[in-house]
Amino acid sequence: MKDKLFREVLPRVSKPARYTGGEVNMIQKDWDQAEVKMVFAFPDVYEIGMSHIGGKILYGLINERTPHLMERSFAPWPDMEAVMREEGIPLYALESFRPLSDFDVVGFSLQYELSITNVLNMLDLAGIPLRSSDRNNDHPLIIAGGPVVFNPEPFAEFFDAFQVGDGEDMLPEFLDVVGRNRGDNRGELLLKLAAIEGVYIPALYEPAYNEDGTLQDIRPRGEGIPARVRKRVVKSLDEAYYPDAPIVPYMNIVHDRAVLEVMRGCQRGCRFCQAGMVYRPLRERSLGTLRKQAEQQLCSSGYEEISLASLSTLDYSGVDSLVRDLVKQYGDQGIGVSLPSLRVDAFSIDLANEVQKVRKTTLTLAPEAGSQRMRDIINKNVTEEQLLGAAEAAFKSGWLAVKLYFMIGLPYEEEADLDAILELLKKVREVGQRFSRRPVEIRASIACFVPKAHTPFQWQPMNSPEELEAKRRFMTRYRQKNIKLSFHDYRTSSLEGVIARGDRRLGAVIYQAWQEGCKFDGWSEYFSYDRWMEAFRRCDIEPDFYTEREKPRSERFAWDIINTGINRPYLWREAEKAKEAALTHDCRMEGCTGCGICPRFAVELDIKETDLLSVERETFILDEEPVD
Amino acid sequence: MMLRCEYHVDADLRFLSNLDMMHLMERALRRARIPYALSEGFNPHLKMSLGTVLPVGLWGTREYFDLELKSPMKPEEFMSSLNAALPPAMGLNDVRVIENHSPALMKVINSAAYSFVMDTPTPVLEEVSRELLSASELIVRSRGKKKGQNKDLRGGILKIAVNQAQEFVIMELWVSTGEPVNVRYDELIELLEQHGINPSSLKDVYRSGNYILSNAAFSTPLEKVK
Repeated sequence: MKDKLFREVLPRVSKPARYTGGEVNMIQKDWDQAEVKMVFAFPDVYEIGMSHIGGKILYGLINERTPHLMERSFAPWPDMEAVMREEGIPLYALESFRPLSDFDVVGFSLQYELSITNVLNMLDLAGIPLRSSDRNNDHPLIIAGGPVVFNPEPFAEFFDAFQVGDGEDMLPEFLDVVGRNRGDNRGELLLKLAAIEGVYIPALYEPAYNEDGTLQDIRPRGEGIPARVRKRVVKSLDEAYYPDAPIVPYMNIVHDRAVLEVMRGCQRGCRFCQAGMVYRPLRERSLGTLRKQAEQQLCSSGYEEISLASLSTLDYSGVDSLVRDLVKQYGDQGIGVSLPSLRVDAFSIDLANEVQKVRKTTLTLAPEAGSQRMRDIINKNVTEEQLLGAAEAAFKSGWLAVKLYFMIGLPYEEEADLDAILELLKKVREVGQRFSRRPVEIRASIACFVPKAHTPFQWQPMNSPEELEAKRRFMTRYRQKNIKLSFHDYRTSSLEGVIARGDRRLGAVIYQAWQEGCKFDGWSEYFSYDRWMEAFRRCDIEPDFYTEREKPRSERFAWDIINTGINRPYLWREAEKAKEAALTHDCRMEGCTGCGICPRFAVELDIKETDLLSVERETFILDEEPVD
Repeated sequence: MMLRCEYHVDADLRFLSNLDMMHLMERALRRARIPYALSEGFNPHLKMSLGTVLPVGLWGTREYFDLELKSPMKPEEFMSSLNAALPPAMGLNDVRVIENHSPALMKVINSAAYSFVMDTPTPVLEEVSRELLSASELIVRSRGKKKGQNKDLRGGILKIAVNQAQEFVIMELWVSTGEPVNVRYDELIELLEQHGINPSSLKDVYRSGNYILSNAAFSTPLEKVK
C-alpha cells in the first residue's frame, strides 16, 4: 500500500507531503498490542487539520496515556481523491497506512458547520456506510466532537455518537467502554456509551414536531437515557494532559509553530460569540505550568516560534510576565513569541511590540462593530477612544498596516451603523497619517453575522442573503484611499446560518448536497450555493425557516438537548439587554452575572496570577424555565 | 566556525520541497541544541546554505550544506547530535571543517549524478550508453527556463555507468548542472524513453551525487576541502 502510494500515486498529485505521514514526533503504536484503535479524522486538508490544537491534545493523550491507539487522517484534496478513486485506494491513516475501516472508532473533529460534506466524502472514500442506521458491528463507530456538536442535530443521522465539551477525560473513558464491550451488538454498546457524561447518542432520541414545523420535543426512546446531555468540563487545566512533543509537519501548515493553551473559556460575554458561552467557565494554566510546557514543546519540536492560544489571550492574568519571560529566555536563539488575538487597547499594543521587535507588518484588532450603540448591543466592551488609542500606539511604534474585523447583519442594525464602520476606518487612517512616518494601510475584513445556538442571539432572525448583499453594496458605494474592504461571501454565511440552528431534518439535505457533488464548502473555489439550494428544493425544505424567523421566547430548539451549563433565562435576559444596548460586565471584575455554569456544574473560575477577584464571589442562577 | 556536511535523504522524504527541507534542517538543529550562528539584522536567520536543490520527487544519497556555528564543536560530535535529531529517513554521512570564507556550495557544484533504477530493460543499457555518448546532439523538450523549447543535452552528458544489481540494473548519468547546459532529471527520463527504455521499467530515480568537475575529474565538495 505505502509502496504503491509513493511510487504511483503521490508523484501525480499536488502537495504530496500531505499524504505521507512519518513526521518528527509522530507516534505509531503497535497495532496488535493496542486495545481500541481510533483514527482522528479532520474533514479538511492536512495543513488545516494539523494546525488544530484539540487534535494535538487528543493524539498525545490517547497514545501516551492509554492502552488505546490513535492515528490521523485528513480530507484529500480533490486531485488526490480522483487518483484514489481511480486506483481503488481507500482513505487511510497516516501512521499505519491502514484503511479507516480497519479501526474501531473514527472520530471527526467538527470545527465548522460546512465541513460536514467532507465528512461524508471521507466516509465514502473509506467505504464506510454514511448513515448510522446502515452500519453494524463490522463497521467502525463514527463519532464527532468540537464546537459544532453543541448543536449536533443536523448531523444526527451520520454519527453513532457525539462527544460534547472537553475531551481530555471523556475520550479515554469512551474508548475504555468500547474496549470492555467488544462482544456487544451495536445497540447494546450505544446504550452503555450513552451513560458517559458528555456523550450524546442521537439514535436513542426521537424528535417530534408541531404543525407549524417547529420542534415540539426531542425525547429519549427508552428508560435510563438522560433527558439532556451535559457537556463535559475539565476542571483544572494545570492537571489536564498537554502534549510535550507535538508532531512537526514537513510541509508548511497554517499555524506552523509550537502552541501553548494559556486558558480555556472566556467571561467577556460578547453576545454573538458561541465559544464564549459554551466553553465556560474560564480556566487558566499557571505560569509555572506554561513555562515548563514551553520548554518541552520547543525542545522536542525545534520550532522557531511559540504562540499563546486561547479565546482572548490578552485577558490571561499572567500574560505580561509570560510574554516577557519567553522573549527573554528564547529570543537570542531566534525563537519568537506570537499572540494570535489582540485586545483593543494600548496595553495590548505594548505587549505586541514586546514580541514583534522586528517586521511590524500588520496588526489585527477586532472591534466587531462600527458604532458605539452596536458595540453595546453585542456587549463588546470597547470604546472608540480605546480603539483609536490602540491605533495610535501601534502607528507610533512603527506598524504600517492595521487590519480590523467587523460584522454586518447584526441585530437591530441600521444604515447608520454601517456608515459608522466606514467612519471609524477613516478615523483610524487619520490617526495613522498623524502618527506614522510612512503611508499606512487600513484593511477591514467584514463578516456576515450568523446567529448561533446557545447564545443570547439564538432567537434572532438572520439577515437574508439579499439583505446582506445590499449592505455590502451600500458600504462599497464609494471608495476611500488606503482603506480596503473585504467581505465574506454572504451565501456561505447564509448556509452556515441554516445549519448552525438546524435540526435533524437537515440530514436529508446534507446527504443530497453531498450527492450533488458538494465538498470543501469552506473553500470558495469549491463552494456551490446553487447546488445546495437544489438540494433544499429536492428535499422540500425551506432554508429560511431556520434563519429568517424571529423565534418566540418559548420555542424549543434542537440544541436544547445539549446542556452547556448556561441557563436559558440568562441568555434571554442578555437578549433583552441587547435590545436596550445595555452592557453586561465581565464576571471577573464585578461579580457573578448569573449565567449558571459555576453552581450547576460545581466548577469555578480558575484565575491564576492576579488577586483582582476581591469582588464578592457568591454565584447565583436566574430562575429556571421548564425547558431546562 | 564553518562546517560542510554531506547527508542523505531517503525515499520516504522524496516529496519535500526545498523550503520544507530548510525548515526541517533548522528545526533539527534546534532540537539537537547545535550552537548555530544567527545573522545580524531585524530578522535573524540561520547561516546555512544548501548546495543544489533536490527536485521534489527525488531522493538523494549525497547532498550538501554549509553551516556556520557561533562556537566551535567537533565534527564527530556535531554529526552524532544532529543525526539523533533528524528523522530516520535522513542523516549526515560526513562533516568537515572548512575555511570561513570558502566559496558557496551553490557556486562550486557544477555537476550531478542521477541514478535510474530499471528492471529488465529491453535494450541493452551498455548500448544505450554508447549511443548517447556518440550522438552529435540529443534533443528533448526543455523543462527548465525555456519550457517547451527544444534543448540539446549532448554537451551536458558527461559520463555514464551501468551497474548490474541483484534484480535491477542501475544506469548512472553524470551531467552538468551549470554551463554549458543545465540538465534536469526529467529531461533525462525523456531522453531514455527516446532510446527505447519503457517508462514502466523505470522503477526509481535518485540523485547519487553532486560534484565539482575540474580538469576532467569529478570530486565531491568534501574531497575539495582536504
